[in-house]
Amino acid sequence: MLHKLLATVKKEILLLLRDRVGLAVLFVMPVALILVMTLIQDSAFKSINEKGIPVVFVNNDHDSLGNIIEDGLRRNELVYVSDSIDGKPATAESATKAVSEGKFLLGIVIPKGATAAIRKNVAVLVNETMNGADTTNKQQDSVEVSIIVDPVAKKSFLTTITSNLREFISEVKTKIMFETFSEQIAEVIPDKQNAPKNSYQKSQIIHYKEIYASTATDKIVPNAVQHNVPAWAIFAMFFIAIPLSNSILKEKSEGSVFRLHTMPTPFLLLVNGKVIVYVFVCLIQFALMLCVGKFLLPQLGLPALVLGNSMMGILLLTLATAFAATGFGVTVGTLATTDHQAAIMGSLSILLLSALGGIWVPSYVMPEVMRNISAWSPLNWSLEGFYKLFLRGGNVSDILMESFKLVLFFLGTMAISYIYNLKKRRV
Amino acid sequence: MSNPAIIEIEHLTKTFRNAEEPAVNGISFSINRNEIFGLLGPNGAGKTTTISILCGLFPPTSGKVLIDGKDIHTELDSIKNILGIVPQDIALYPTLTARENLAFYGSMYGLYGKSLKDKIEVWLQKLGLKDAANRKVSTYSGGMKRRVNLIAGILHSPKILFLDEPTVGVDVHSRNVIIQHLKEVNASGTTIIYTSHHMEEAEHFCTRVSIIDRGKILTEGTPAELISRNAGSTNLENVFLNLTNRKLRD
Ligand SMILES: Nc1ncnc2c1ncn2[C@@H]1O[C@H](COP(=O)(O)OP(=O)(O)OP(=O)(O)O)[C@@H](O)[C@H]1O
Ligand SMILES: [Mg+2]
Repeated sequence: MLHKLLATVKKEILLLLRDRVGLAVLFVMPVALILVMTLIQDSAFKSINEKGIPVVFVNNDHDSLGNIIEDGLRRNELVYVSDSIDGKPATAESATKAVSEGKFLLGIVIPKGATAAIRKNVAVLVNETMNGADTTNKQQDSVEVSIIVDPVAKKSFLTTITSNLREFISEVKTKIMFETFSEQIAEVIPDKQNAPKNSYQKSQIIHYKEIYASTATDKIVPNAVQHNVPAWAIFAMFFIAIPLSNSILKEKSEGSVFRLHTMPTPFLLLVNGKVIVYVFVCLIQFALMLCVGKFLLPQLGLPALVLGNSMMGILLLTLATAFAATGFGVTVGTLATTDHQAAIMGSLSILLLSALGGIWVPSYVMPEVMRNISAWSPLNWSLEGFYKLFLRGGNVSDILMESFKLVLFFLGTMAISYIYNLKKRRV
Repeated sequence: MSNPAIIEIEHLTKTFRNAEEPAVNGISFSINRNEIFGLLGPNGAGKTTTISILCGLFPPTSGKVLIDGKDIHTELDSIKNILGIVPQDIALYPTLTARENLAFYGSMYGLYGKSLKDKIEVWLQKLGLKDAANRKVSTYSGGMKRRVNLIAGILHSPKILFLDEPTVGVDVHSRNVIIQHLKEVNASGTTIIYTSHHMEEAEHFCTRVSIIDRGKILTEGTPAELISRNAGSTNLENVFLNLTNRKLRD
């Protein structure tokens, strides 16, 4: 049996090596796609950066909170902050009007006395804490920062902005809290006033930020590289369906199946020989794509691909994706009756599944309905998995579900092909 | 081994799914060990269909087939091991060389290592393909492809060999070489089932023939018997034309 399997694998490798066009499809096309798509999207990204997403900012506070938020917004490359409308200083009313007219995508209004309110509440809190008073029934300060939203604003952008705002508010709160505490402490222990205060405060703030950041990254939008490299690598893996189905159909049209079906070799073994070879091809493809992301893209002035920190996770997910892609190819090759049909059926279905799966346009910018449909595309399972690994520092346990679904998809497609084959042979 | 028949067919019928008429219509015959059995008939007579059923490509609609005493319905897997098939249509990978094709098909019949290599070389030599053996099959002439197609079916020295028009498009010289080698294969213990439109070749090659048309057997016997049975016939071709006197086939 092993000899037979090896012979099948060898035959498939030879067939593949002799198929120059097929090889080009497998390796040259995805590299080209990654380069083109990343460059296009990167420049699109940059053009947004140059102008920025227009945000109108109304600072009625003119104190710590308002200033920190304004500072933060101005430092954010994604947004272009303006505090006046048509040359006049913006007010809450004019900002609302301007956003509704589409002049700005977003308006942010910091109410008057916001910082003072925080400071006051904190002072009360600190005082009571220092004096051992019961604070549980005290009302927390609530600072109402209004966000005026243009309905066309993307949800992902909104979540990023609101989480940024929340972060700024906490930062201000923490800062004020420490200032107040320090003053109190200084009153109690005046000689220790200078030295520890600032460093303590700083480290605490950074600490606080870190905690926040780990949940905030959940909403981090990948840059062009982090999205395009895994996306097109997955796309390329699924594209092996074309040469794979072609190889299956060639065997039909070249008459080899006549022999193959009458040989004392289970047909499944022959198919498995194909699967082994093409899964291996997928792995090579993926490695190539990662190299492009890591080494070639930086040469073109793009950010380098960040792989995250779970090599095992990457291997597992890639393997699962490779099997899913191969199974898909086998099914296409089985269902189609001519290689022409397979090429059309294969490429169209992959285009469809990839569009749905968020390869072309990431699914997080899709409308809700599409995002729900997206979750049915195996390319999406894989992409989500790679987001987890590359963007959120996930490890093997985080992508088990995605891998499992992909393997299940593989088994499903193989079962369909097997059953269809049995039926089709009953002439 | 008391049973001289290696293939026994009873009331074999095959009606393709969308066909009105059966392609094979209730035929019965048996083939003895070491025979060279000719299955002759005009285009569309049902020769390839019969062979396809015998080698397990698809099951018959009805009827019984025993091969080497085993029922094709239930023991197809073990039957396949003793069969060799040379299909009517070339079944080779065009982008592989002759050696690579033969190595693959040989392996599928359980050959490997040195014995596989040796057998490939012997046959390439016998059929004059040694010089071209490392060229892609797609660069071969029609006759050369036929010869490789032939080797792929006999490499593993099968007990039963199906030859579906093995010499179509082969020049006279190669044809004689092929027939000569096939006789040797037969002499070493392989039963051969052979189809052809070449009556002269069949007359000299086959020990027994059966003429079929429209899925039915018209007559059966040694070539000499058939010729003597049909008044006015001096060779198998006369017999064939008399029996299957019809217009062009679809
Ligand atoms: N897969 C198929 N599906 C439907 N009909 C078929 C199929 N294969 C063969 N037939 C029909 O069955 C009949 C017998 O065909 P078969 O190939 O057995 O003829 P043959 O004797 O081998 O002819 P030839 O000498 O031309 O090779 C023909 O009418 C053919 O059209
Ligand atoms: Mg035929």
